[in-house]
Amino acid sequence: MNRFILLATLAALAACTEPQSPLIIKNLDVQRALPGTSMGRAYLTLVNTTDDPITITHVSSPDFGRVALHESVIEDGIARMRALDTLTIAAGDQVKLAPGGKHLMLHDALSEDSEIVFVFYAGDTPVLSVATRTDTVEF
Amino acid sequence: MRAKHFFIATVATAAIVTGAWLSFQEAQTPSPPITATVLPQPVDLAKFSLIDHRSQPFTAAEFAGQWDLVFFGFTNCPDICPLTLKVLADARTLADVGDTRVVLVSVDPERDTPDNLARYVGHFGDNIIGLTGELDQLRALTGSLGIWFEKEPSDNEHYNVNHSAAVIVVDPDGKFHAVFTAPHVAENIAADMQSLMALAK
Repeated sequence: MNRFILLATLAALAACTEPQSPLIIKNLDVQRALPGTSMGRAYLTLVNTTDDPITITHVSSPDFGRVALHESVIEDGIARMRALDTLTIAAGDQVKLAPGGKHLMLHDALSEDSEIVFVFYAGDTPVLSVATRTDTVEF
Repeated sequence: MRAKHFFIATVATAAIVTGAWLSFQEAQTPSPPITATVLPQPVDLAKFSLIDHRSQPFTAAEFAGQWDLVFFGFTNCPDICPLTLKVLADARTLADVGDTRVVLVSVDPERDTPDNLARYVGHFGDNIIGLTGELDQLRALTGSLGIWFEKEPSDNEHYNVNHSAAVIVVDPDGKFHAVFTAPHVAENIAADMQSLMALAK
């Protein structure tokens, strides 16, 4: 039911806004938790189609207990992960979340649905929702 | 005159044979590894006792008998660790590296049980071993290999473990032989493993 309300709200939001979404997602690649683990990940490219920077403050999903913005770095031979407080996409620019760098960490799956929904927020405002089917993604 | 011709023919033949022998020797000499750093002398591993993903004891002696590519990580690491394990699994299929194994040593023994490791390593193919165990035993192994790891403080169960990204090569004598530093590339590891194996013969 929550999923239905969320999707309906987002559809209504989309209908009210201009045809071009301020934020576009490309190359979405979701991996649910691998066997033996409770942590999945998503890679994607965020494209800002506006003339102003967009700052993503958090991401939510009805399919996971928690979605976190993270970045892997290897410094002096040490692999580290950092939580990102925000993610800013400059005007007309794009940011890639890709293997070995920025990514979404997907904690605690709440569903086995093959369709996964993500909602990207700038503060309290949902700026983009996207759905993907995981059964087409191979690792 | 005939003697002079014979002399020239002999010298020419000798030159050709020598040249062919030298080129043969050159072709037979294995090229040195490109990306791996080889230790001047292989080093013994420290004594340790861990548990593998089949819940069997795994000590330093288990490393003897084949080449091993050893990586340190944890199963709840969603980015670097699966990427590296895939690179290592791919390296094993890109070239003939015999029965070289991939070994994942968990730096998160608190969460990585043998059962979890069994399901996790099975995802990446055959001949991959997962190790876990007591922290002091883990530190005995990592300490002798120059591997560093540290759990980040966290107020909930979602914590991260920072760790060395290197891949250690253990030779069939069970000794620390070489190290690959990140970033890891399957083609480079496959080629260098072939070189290391040929040079060690």
